[in-house]
Amino acid sequence: MRLPSDRETVNQETVNVPAARNWRDISQPVKARAMSRGGKWRRVLQGARGVMLVAVVGGLLWGAWKVSLSLRKTAPQIPTIAKTVPMKAPELRTTRDGVLDAAWLARTLELPPRVSLLELDLERLRARVLADDQVLTASLTRVFPDRLIVQVTERTPVARVRVGLEGQARDLLVARDGVLFAGSGFDPAMIETLPWLAGLTLAPEGAGFRPVPRMNEVARLLTDAQLAAEHLYRSWQNVSLARLDSDNEIEITTRDHTTIVFGAKNAFFVQLANLDYIMERRLKLPGTRARIDLSLGREVPVMIEPLAAVATEAKPELAKGAMVPFFTAFPDSSLSSKREL
Amino acid sequence: MSSKTTYIGAVEIGTSKITVLVGEHNGRELAIIGRGECSSRGMIKGTVVDYKAASDSTHSALEQAERDAGERIDLVFLAQTGGHLEGFYNEAAVNVKASDNMIEPGDVRTVCDLAKAKELPTGRMVVHHIRRPFRVDGQLIPGSPENITGQRLDVGYWTVHGQEQRLADNLHVIRGFNLEVRELVLASLASGHMVTSAEERQHGVLAIDIGAGTTDFVLYRDGAPHTTGVVPVGGTHFTNDLSIGLRLTDGKAEKLKLRFGRANVTTKDKTHKVWLDGNFAIGDRQFPQQAIEQITSARAWELLEVVKKKLGSAFSPETCASGVVLTGGTAKLAGIADAAAKVFGVPAHLGEAPTWVSENLRDPGYHTALGLLYYGVSAQSEKALPSRRGSSFLTGMKRLFTHA
Repeated sequence: MRLPSDRETVNQETVNVPAARNWRDISQPVKARAMSRGGKWRRVLQGARGVMLVAVVGGLLWGAWKVSLSLRKTAPQIPTIAKTVPMKAPELRTTRDGVLDAAWLARTLELPPRVSLLELDLERLRARVLADDQVLTASLTRVFPDRLIVQVTERTPVARVRVGLEGQARDLLVARDGVLFAGSGFDPAMIETLPWLAGLTLAPEGAGFRPVPRMNEVARLLTDAQLAAEHLYRSWQNVSLARLDSDNEIEITTRDHTTIVFGAKNAFFVQLANLDYIMERRLKLPGTRARIDLSLGREVPVMIEPLAAVATEAKPELAKGAMVPFFTAFPDSSLSSKREL
Repeated sequence: MSSKTTYIGAVEIGTSKITVLVGEHNGRELAIIGRGECSSRGMIKGTVVDYKAASDSTHSALEQAERDAGERIDLVFLAQTGGHLEGFYNEAAVNVKASDNMIEPGDVRTVCDLAKAKELPTGRMVVHHIRRPFRVDGQLIPGSPENITGQRLDVGYWTVHGQEQRLADNLHVIRGFNLEVRELVLASLASGHMVTSAEERQHGVLAIDIGAGTTDFVLYRDGAPHTTGVVPVGGTHFTNDLSIGLRLTDGKAEKLKLRFGRANVTTKDKTHKVWLDGNFAIGDRQFPQQAIEQITSARAWELLEVVKKKLGSAFSPETCASGVVLTGGTAKLAGIADAAAKVFGVPAHLGEAPTWVSENLRDPGYHTALGLLYYGVSAQSEKALPSRRGSSFLTGMKRLFTHA
């Protein structure tokens, strides 16, 4: 290789300069025998320092590994212990008017025998509980070592409905929110007091039906009647929603074939007061039935029809229904407040 | 340098004594916190002739310095001297690469590499590359030429090189104490840096460090070292001359030299005699003072003449306006400044350490070690030019692991 001579100006593109050997290229480390005692002692100290550093770093790493290991081990240890403790029967806690019992819970959860608490999939069990439409809300809680607490809020029925074809019909209960459910654990006597819903079309959904629309208004009427005019409510047999959407009318049929029409948009307490007033004063004509329309406000038409027409249903004149006004108006004083009822 | 505190040992392994100073460097300030000294053994004229003896005495001085400082030395700056050291000058020039003729870092790097790229004979190694000022189109640039416009960039290097085995022996003596030598600094540069001011160096000054075995010199011009050299003659030769001339043992000759030796003859009376010990003890002898002065002055003049001859054309009274500064143990010889002034034809004086150096370190014997610390630290922190060898990230990482 040619190097530029002194004072020669060079073109930089052609430059390739070798580095001269420098004193730094000399290898400094020496053998132990060439070291003095002080040097050896320094080397030992340096080595010890290195070992200490490695030990400290190693110790920290080992500690971290042990901690992570113990954390990892802690999680599986609980089920191992829990597996040895079979779970007790699940404990059901319902709302104060709840009717569901432990037998229902056992049927619903279908837990295998001697299952341990930590083997349970709470989400799946909760879904199972909520699958029964009688249950409004549910929460499942593990109480170690062996208890499972199931807390539910139940729906209360306000009416009942018969669904299905003739011969395969089944009765369902209807809650305030319109949800239909089979009903489990209710007193049959209480069920018998519930009026039947009629005049509605149920839309299927999954294995059941969609909630009944505007049921909250019907429920309000029924609850008000139960509270304020229980003697009247007791005679209610059917509640027809046929004209609820079209005319905002709820039609009640009593056991003595009286038909009462309530206006869904009017205050039910006032209408119930009017009804009570009418029912106390109406003429009891044998062989007839009455139709009382409370949906018109202060004007309450009352129609009297012969029962025979109801029985035959064939007479055209009866089908038409001749209306005979019975009361035209109520005294204002009788409508002043609920308290009068 | 990092802000971490580093304990630096400045080690001068001389022919008569070994000096170690411990400096505490925190990245910004340097404080001298310890000192160790020991009679030198196994060293002649800067060369290790008995490794064991040299190691023992050096390590003894290092231990003493560490004890004095109360800290462990992390690394060492080592002074280098010896007759094997030689120097030569080489310069190079490049055409500026950029089309706008503005000098770029690449131009500077290339010209520096070229100027340093002189092949050395087998077994020789570079100890120092001492850069002289850049020139752009012939005009001297005291600082960096980067971003200056010109067509041609020149630079010259005074390269000091030494024999590989001798250098390795010195390094291994230190490494035998399990210490790393971070900087190898010419003794003349170290002592010259301490006894001359920046102003003197700018005007031109010759610093001569006369030790026991060698005489190191450095000529400064334009603020930078211009020429360095080593003459393998020192104070022991004065003693040896007296010993032969007056038929004395070395110890007695040394005593006479220290008491009555001069670099110029001032005694006119040939019969005037001086006592060797002066304590009237049995065996005490008388010697003619003129003879003592004649012997020592002859050697001193000869030594100074040799230095002048070695400098050659590099030295001229015109380029050395600040004169000659003398330092080293033998510089304490009476009349040596006068002798130097006469030999070089310029004013001469004995070098003194800066005023901030404490009283117990102001002796000329410490100038080299002091200069080592300051020159070494500044050389490490203020690299004049980035070099290809040390600039890359990979090299930095390699060094990190090498020095770990």
